[in-house]
Amino acid sequence: MAAVSYRPYFSAGLKEWIFTTDHKKIGIMYGVTSLVFFLIAGLSALAIRMELFQPGLQYMSEDTYNQALTVHGVLMQFWWAVAIWSSFGNYLLPLMIGARDVAFPRLNALSYWFFFAASVLALITLLPGNHIRMMWTGYPPFSLNDNAGPVAFYALIIHLLGASSLASAINLVVTNLTMRAPGITLKKMNLFLHSFLAMNVIQILGVPALAGAVTMLLMDKYFHTAFFDPTRGGDPLLYQNLFWFYSHPVVYVMILPAFGLISEMIATFSRREIFGRTSMIIAIWGIAILGFMVWIHHMFTSGVPDWIRIIFSYTTVLIGVPTGIKIFNWIFTLYKGSVRFTTPMLYTLSAIFMFLIGGLTGIPLGLPAFDIAVHDSHFVVAHFHYVLGMALTLAAFGGFHYWYPKYTGRMYSEFWAKIALVLIMIGSNLFYFLQFIVGLEGMPRRYADYPAIESWIRLHELQTIGAMILGFGVFIALANLILSTKFGKKAEDNPWQSPSLEWLVPSPPPPHNFDKTPHMPEDWDPYNYEWLEKQHKKQ
Amino acid sequence: MKEVLAYPANYWQTMYEIWLFIAVVIYLVVFIPGAYFLVKYRYKKGANEKAQHVHESKALEVLWTIIPTIVVIYLATQSFAFYRVQRTAPEGAMEIKVTAFMWGWEFEYPNGKKVFSFFNSVVNPETNAYLKPEEVNDMFKAYIPAGTPIKVLLTSRDVIHSFYVHPAKVTEDAVPGRITHMWFQINQPGEYWIFCREYCGTQHSKMAAVLKVVPKDQFEKWLKEGMQTSNFSDKQNL
Repeated sequence: MAAVSYRPYFSAGLKEWIFTTDHKKIGIMYGVTSLVFFLIAGLSALAIRMELFQPGLQYMSEDTYNQALTVHGVLMQFWWAVAIWSSFGNYLLPLMIGARDVAFPRLNALSYWFFFAASVLALITLLPGNHIRMMWTGYPPFSLNDNAGPVAFYALIIHLLGASSLASAINLVVTNLTMRAPGITLKKMNLFLHSFLAMNVIQILGVPALAGAVTMLLMDKYFHTAFFDPTRGGDPLLYQNLFWFYSHPVVYVMILPAFGLISEMIATFSRREIFGRTSMIIAIWGIAILGFMVWIHHMFTSGVPDWIRIIFSYTTVLIGVPTGIKIFNWIFTLYKGSVRFTTPMLYTLSAIFMFLIGGLTGIPLGLPAFDIAVHDSHFVVAHFHYVLGMALTLAAFGGFHYWYPKYTGRMYSEFWAKIALVLIMIGSNLFYFLQFIVGLEGMPRRYADYPAIESWIRLHELQTIGAMILGFGVFIALANLILSTKFGKKAEDNPWQSPSLEWLVPSPPPPHNFDKTPHMPEDWDPYNYEWLEKQHKKQ
Repeated sequence: MKEVLAYPANYWQTMYEIWLFIAVVIYLVVFIPGAYFLVKYRYKKGANEKAQHVHESKALEVLWTIIPTIVVIYLATQSFAFYRVQRTAPEGAMEIKVTAFMWGWEFEYPNGKKVFSFFNSVVNPETNAYLKPEEVNDMFKAYIPAGTPIKVLLTSRDVIHSFYVHPAKVTEDAVPGRITHMWFQINQPGEYWIFCREYCGTQHSKMAAVLKVVPKDQFEKWLKEGMQTSNFSDKQNL
């Protein structure tokens, strides 16, 4: 790939950022917005942890606590766990398939600005008088109650976000399917691309269900319809069905891209192709399809008929099979590899370690016989924090470090990156593992206060200390990344020696990505590390 | 058979132990080879600089598809068997109607006797922190006889709540406009917590009640004592 004249990327003016249709700039804007909200959500998590340090209410009222929990939940799910992938997807997808931009660049910019508008509205809910206190689920009839906060506002935010993610998903699917450079077949596509494809398809199929649910909620509250209001013949469980029909699959929108990132990094740093690549692709789609068949497990104690609970317990545990295939394949990718312990690799291995615990504790939640004791307890909270809180965040942070030289043209500090990871791992395991135990002992979730049961107090104290260590680790990791944009060593174009297409362009990539459409030769493959060596020898 | 503290918690306990055993085995099956490969195939200058290529192994991939499938189907089936028992109240269980509201519980006994437990009956009015179960005033406690199966019929007056009996390890939602059910039995007299487990607003975390388990004869006596409802029925609108 011929290099073009290098233009410093970050010197672009404000006007250029606002009106840009460049997928790379849009990707960075998604990333920055998402990280800002990650920090706000993280701070509200620390506030929650402080309040739970001891029984009784020490620092905040119950209403403030409920708002903090709602803010934490909504922001972490929609602004971090979903939106951060828009950053990776937008930035990397066209580069990986040899395209100059996405299929609909202006629609892409619109997607971001919808997301931005939703972000501004979300910040407004933090102002006094606009507090939303109905948790991210917003179950009616509670959300029809004045106690819940401005629901119309919430619905508007969800609609803006939904429009943004639908447009973005359609854009990326079309780009991926129609704009691949010659030589990049579906089979030779990066696993990253496969997982993003599946994730975007889930968005396209799922978002309308959530949009429908919040629209009906809005109509019930302000236009006197009665979809969910039992006093007028509605059924609150209808909302739960619609809500979870989207909101369960959305956890795979969050975690599938993390799988994609893990696959990229573990292949690069083992210097060999992912073991069982075909079964990895089948597993991705297996998860995507099964993901739509399990939502009732969120309703195992909701009063739905018993036989439905049993059927959905089978479909739920079956998801463990494709996920298991992925984990085994990752582990066997190390086999006979040449493993390099760089920071992104350590993040990847940590993500797999955490995901394994998260996955194994997810299986019993799919078993009604187990679930009835821990439903809506801290055990559930611990489970999804291992999976979505930690495996996802570790994979994303690994991705930040992995593609850092590509994004910025500089290297981060390996030393501080590793210190941060050690702190994150110690803190999060102290925190979330004890959360499992307090959950098994019966502690309900979404509790501002709890009775002074001796073991609960001790467990909460230690969890809060863990949360502090975790927060400190995240702070160091981000500080390292931010400071390194200025003080980092200059990076090579391809510091990890990967033949994947995004590494074959200069760092940072030129505005138009490729001088001419790349034609990938027969023996090229994004994971064929020998091919790259041969190219080097030829030069 | 050894006396257990509460039903159906014992079935939960067995399910928990089965799962925990399997989960630990799976964890080791993944972790041990993973750690071994990491050490054995690590890159060092001059040693193991090149990866060898093993792209796939049909046999292995089939193996780690089929074995997990069998394991999870076994778990789901085991859960099915336990769940039938956990959901089906034994013959002759005593029925209690429980109506949840923001934020408290109304218990109605077969003879019409009612007990109300409000969120402010379980907290200390000065500190607003939880009282210990034994500090809660007896008239707010739901009495049940020890060793007798109790079938609970649940509904709610306003929003969705969830009825969780702490020692019995069983939860079921109280949904307005529906009647849901669950059962439990506690064999040892004592005082236990009931919590609300579905988020229901400001006082969600204080929507608790104390379950006072007493010997059967003592319960019969209590049940016949004057109807306390008249004194408190106006409070349900709090």
